[in-house]
Amino acid sequence: MNLWPNLHYAVAMVLFCIGLYTVIMRRNIIKKIIGLNIMETSVFLFLISIGYLEGGAAPVHGHGVDPSRMVNPLPQSLILTAIVVAVSVTALALSLVILLYRQFGTLDVSRLFREEEEAG
Amino acid sequence: MSGVFRHFPVLMITLPIAGAALMPFVSYLRREAVPWVSALFLAVSGVLGLLLVGRIPPDGCVGYQLGGWEPPFGIELKVDFAGYFLMMVVCGISLLALLYSRPYIAREVRGGRITAYYVLFLLLSASMMGFVVTGDIFNLFVFMEILALSSYALVAVTGNRNAVRAAFKYLLMGAPSSIMVLLGIGFLYSVTGTLNMADLAARVVETGYREVLIASFAVLVLAFMVKAAIFPLHLWLPDAHSIAPSPMSAMLSGLVVAVSAFAIARIAFSVFTVHASGLTGTTMDALAAAGAAAVLFGGIMAIYQRDFKMMIAYSTISHMGYVVLGFTALNPEGLTGAVYHVLDHGIAKACLFLCAGNFIYRKGYRRINQLRGAWREMPWTCFAFALAAWSVIGLPPSAGFISKWYLVYGNVKAGRVPYAVILLIGAILAAVYCFRIIYYMFFQSGEEGAWRDQVMDVPVGMLAPTWILSLATLFFGVFSYFFLDSLLKATAGLLS
Repeated sequence: MNLWPNLHYAVAMVLFCIGLYTVIMRRNIIKKIIGLNIMETSVFLFLISIGYLEGGAAPVHGHGVDPSRMVNPLPQSLILTAIVVAVSVTALALSLVILLYRQFGTLDVSRLFREEEEAG
Repeated sequence: MSGVFRHFPVLMITLPIAGAALMPFVSYLRREAVPWVSALFLAVSGVLGLLLVGRIPPDGCVGYQLGGWEPPFGIELKVDFAGYFLMMVVCGISLLALLYSRPYIAREVRGGRITAYYVLFLLLSASMMGFVVTGDIFNLFVFMEILALSSYALVAVTGNRNAVRAAFKYLLMGAPSSIMVLLGIGFLYSVTGTLNMADLAARVVETGYREVLIASFAVLVLAFMVKAAIFPLHLWLPDAHSIAPSPMSAMLSGLVVAVSAFAIARIAFSVFTVHASGLTGTTMDALAAAGAAAVLFGGIMAIYQRDFKMMIAYSTISHMGYVVLGFTALNPEGLTGAVYHVLDHGIAKACLFLCAGNFIYRKGYRRINQLRGAWREMPWTCFAFALAAWSVIGLPPSAGFISKWYLVYGNVKAGRVPYAVILLIGAILAAVYCFRIIYYMFFQSGEEGAWRDQVMDVPVGMLAPTWILSLATLFFGVFSYFFLDSLLKATAGLLS
């Protein structure tokens, strides 16, 4: 298999793994959320690149464009929806981070959990 | 289905969403009305659902095109009997938990957030109803995200430090799994070019890219395993479910995880057509092994808990293993057992959490030790707890017995005797952790002054939902033959 024409898929998967690594391994919870966003971006990249067509036209009928040259609009509309979802997840996560910081005074996961053991 | 009835399934989903949007306005006019108006919206949904009784053919499904766009271009709802059944379960349990919330929540949640609680509650129930009947896989993702976001927020709604931490833990596991669902859908779309489940089922068999399809299925199953808290991906569940306000725990434990487990079955059968495509073998085997481990692990951990809400939460992990073992048997009996188990586990678990809520509301107790001698002061709650526990163990004539019977039968029929034995061991573990509490409550006397000698149970507004749920476990056990025939037909249709 030829890697070069499929490079965007490989990049998306590498980004996905970087994001997952960040979410799992980083101790700072804001960095974890950034990792979450990297994961989201990688999936967006993957889905958008499915619909890409070299030299494609906007999928609007009635301008004399050949339908076979139009890009597939479905992945783009999916990603628009997914971006909205991703933004709300990030907003909720950050608001939880604010609450956590107010109550524990730390952003470090290991310290959050150590306190849990002391309390339990 | 003809005429106006055609629109009822979609109205059942959109009414609570509309209610959620309306609630801030209701709160502005009159804050005390918010619980009642939101209950009204859910009740109307439930009535619409009841009017559909007998109109959904057991061996087929009713399609509904949203906005009149023909599938595969538009989004389609596919209401088959199993989906309709689960929709009614979701609607009923949500309504009871919502009614229960009114007295309970006022104590745990500060004034301004009460409206937010009801808004999120309505969104949660609506998204679950949509989740079980949608016929479009991207729509499934959207409903799943509404469901997930509202449950993260509802775990944290009390705002105390442990609740926020539990909610964040839930989000840290839930959000990556949501992204993985999207990735799985992306894989699927990249090789089939469609998102409609019926269309996908046809193309999955034809298309050549087997590796991509297998990867897609594995990613989707892994992601939904997190959502359904199937061992070893259950880590978020005990904290989130035990720290959330009790009616919310009832929703999360009784419905949210169970609906997610059903989604795995839905994807395996309606999209990947287990028998036809032959793509799902290894993943389903791994899933069944995880389910078996969950049954044992959840049961054993539940025995060692000191906090009774924690115990009920671990019991949920064990019961999700049951559901998974049911549908991985790949026959109608196993799948019927799984769907019926979602029903009776939902009812019984919701009832247990509401009983736990009653103890917390009246006495502030959370430790199992503190329940010694509880029946003298709170006999009604104790009896409801015992009835629901009866169903969790799976003793006749409760609904738990019926579903476990089918689960074991399905597994034996599929030639998976070890799994059937594990299911039975799970029931013994359930008996250990349930009878311990029942023994403490009824046959032991607690410390001096822990419980009064006169009856002082919780208000009727909280007792009624608890008792309706506990009697429902009996009702669905005794009258199970009304549902089982249709369910067997419906699940046979899903499998073929």
